[in-house]
Amino acid sequence: MMRTVLISALLIIGVAQANAAEDTRNTDPTAFINQFSQVSIDDILNANIDTVEKTARFRTLFNDSFDIPAISRFVLGRAWRRASDAEKQDFLAVFEDVIVYTWSRRFRQYMGQTIKVLGTSPDGDTGTLVDSVIVHLEGQTISVQWRLRQRGEGLRIVDIIIEGISMVITYRQDYTSVIRQNGGIQGLLTELRKQAAEMLPSKAP
Amino acid sequence: MTVSFNSPSLLKLGIVSAFTMFALGACASKPPATDTEAFRAYEQNNDPLEPWNRSMMQIDQGLDTVFFNPVISVYQTVVPKPGRRGVSNAIRNFRTPITLVNDIFQGEGSRAGTTLRRFLINSTVGLFGLFDVAQYWGLPYHSEDLGQTLAVWGVGEGPYLYFPILGPSGGRDITGYAVDNIGIDIMSWVGRADNPFWWQVAYFGGLAVDIKGNAKPTLEELKASSIDYYTALRSAYRQNRAKEIRNGAPAPLPGLDDFDDEDGDGDPFSSLETETASVQTAALPK
Repeated sequence: MMRTVLISALLIIGVAQANAAEDTRNTDPTAFINQFSQVSIDDILNANIDTVEKTARFRTLFNDSFDIPAISRFVLGRAWRRASDAEKQDFLAVFEDVIVYTWSRRFRQYMGQTIKVLGTSPDGDTGTLVDSVIVHLEGQTISVQWRLRQRGEGLRIVDIIIEGISMVITYRQDYTSVIRQNGGIQGLLTELRKQAAEMLPSKAP
Repeated sequence: MTVSFNSPSLLKLGIVSAFTMFALGACASKPPATDTEAFRAYEQNNDPLEPWNRSMMQIDQGLDTVFFNPVISVYQTVVPKPGRRGVSNAIRNFRTPITLVNDIFQGEGSRAGTTLRRFLINSTVGLFGLFDVAQYWGLPYHSEDLGQTLAVWGVGEGPYLYFPILGPSGGRDITGYAVDNIGIDIMSWVGRADNPFWWQVAYFGGLAVDIKGNAKPTLEELKASSIDYYTALRSAYRQNRAKEIRNGAPAPLPGLDDFDDEDGDGDPFSSLETETASVQTAALPK
């Protein structure tokens, strides 16, 4: 009887702690990035699974951690406002594919790097900038900054800045140029579908 | 690793200036100011020689294919990674004067001190610079060049320029580059003293192989993740240069609250426009 009570008490404490961890992840930017990097390393990069499965897991992580509609709005800018609802949905789908496959190409190059959070600072009224470095085993570091926004479901990443190069700004200028040259968003969608098909992880050597 | 897009070559500077003269004949036509959208894009890109620059990039890629990539591939096969890192370290060490002089030009006393101490430590304990011992002693590497100094002094970046072998640059950066490599780099003086041509070729060729080899994975990554590689590289080059010029100071974050923009126009530059297209994004599926 006593044992049952004890076990139940332990279980309740355990559940409470798990909830607490989940809560910090949703509101504490440092915890959020630490968990993002831990899941990436333990469950994806170092996991003993094939590239297709790694890619599937990364897609889930990407969807749970990034505000993809906000990123898409920024990346397309003016073109987003002119796009039809169908075009917006097409873009969201293929853009997600392109980013997920781009990252999945990097999985094989993983050599034990870790992410170290250096600090945080406010980013606008509601956002946070997390400053971090990727540390190589040989000691070199790469500067990586994460722009986070608080959303209803928790914190979400809206940009990653590597050595000063912003992911969303680079995509934005690239895509704006493609839209201008190829006569509109349909031309961009065609190019993106082609790119996604070429990068399909099953095609990786 | 520092992302670097510069690959030097003194020999090519002469050719490059000749190219630039011809380039003046290859300007992109400036859209009329009445075409607001195209006009603003043109101004923002600050790339009046775009068609010319694009063909220079093709020449550069051609040179990579027929010459640099095979050489880099042989080099990487013959010399293992630690050896190649030693070579990169030594080249950096020999070229210390460029960073030191520009630290001083920028009034960065403590950074100049770091540069000088790094040079003394790495040239001795680090066996003529082969080993970067200083970075483990709290003296991390940083680079400076005259392009950055001019920026600190308030000189604008000038039009974007792409050079074969050198890669992406701009009016300000190529000027600084020429002075750094002809005037400040002691290694290039060695060549000029007795003027053996083979020295110039060996030194700047080796430099190009080292720098191109180090930048290759980053550039291939950018190429794979972009559609219009030329535009993506231009953007990445400028952003990376801006970071180098800031010397690690916090970046001004562009379009601070565009991600939180309630009307969802998502355009940090849209306040300049009269356009009032309304968008509804609430109904969008995730």
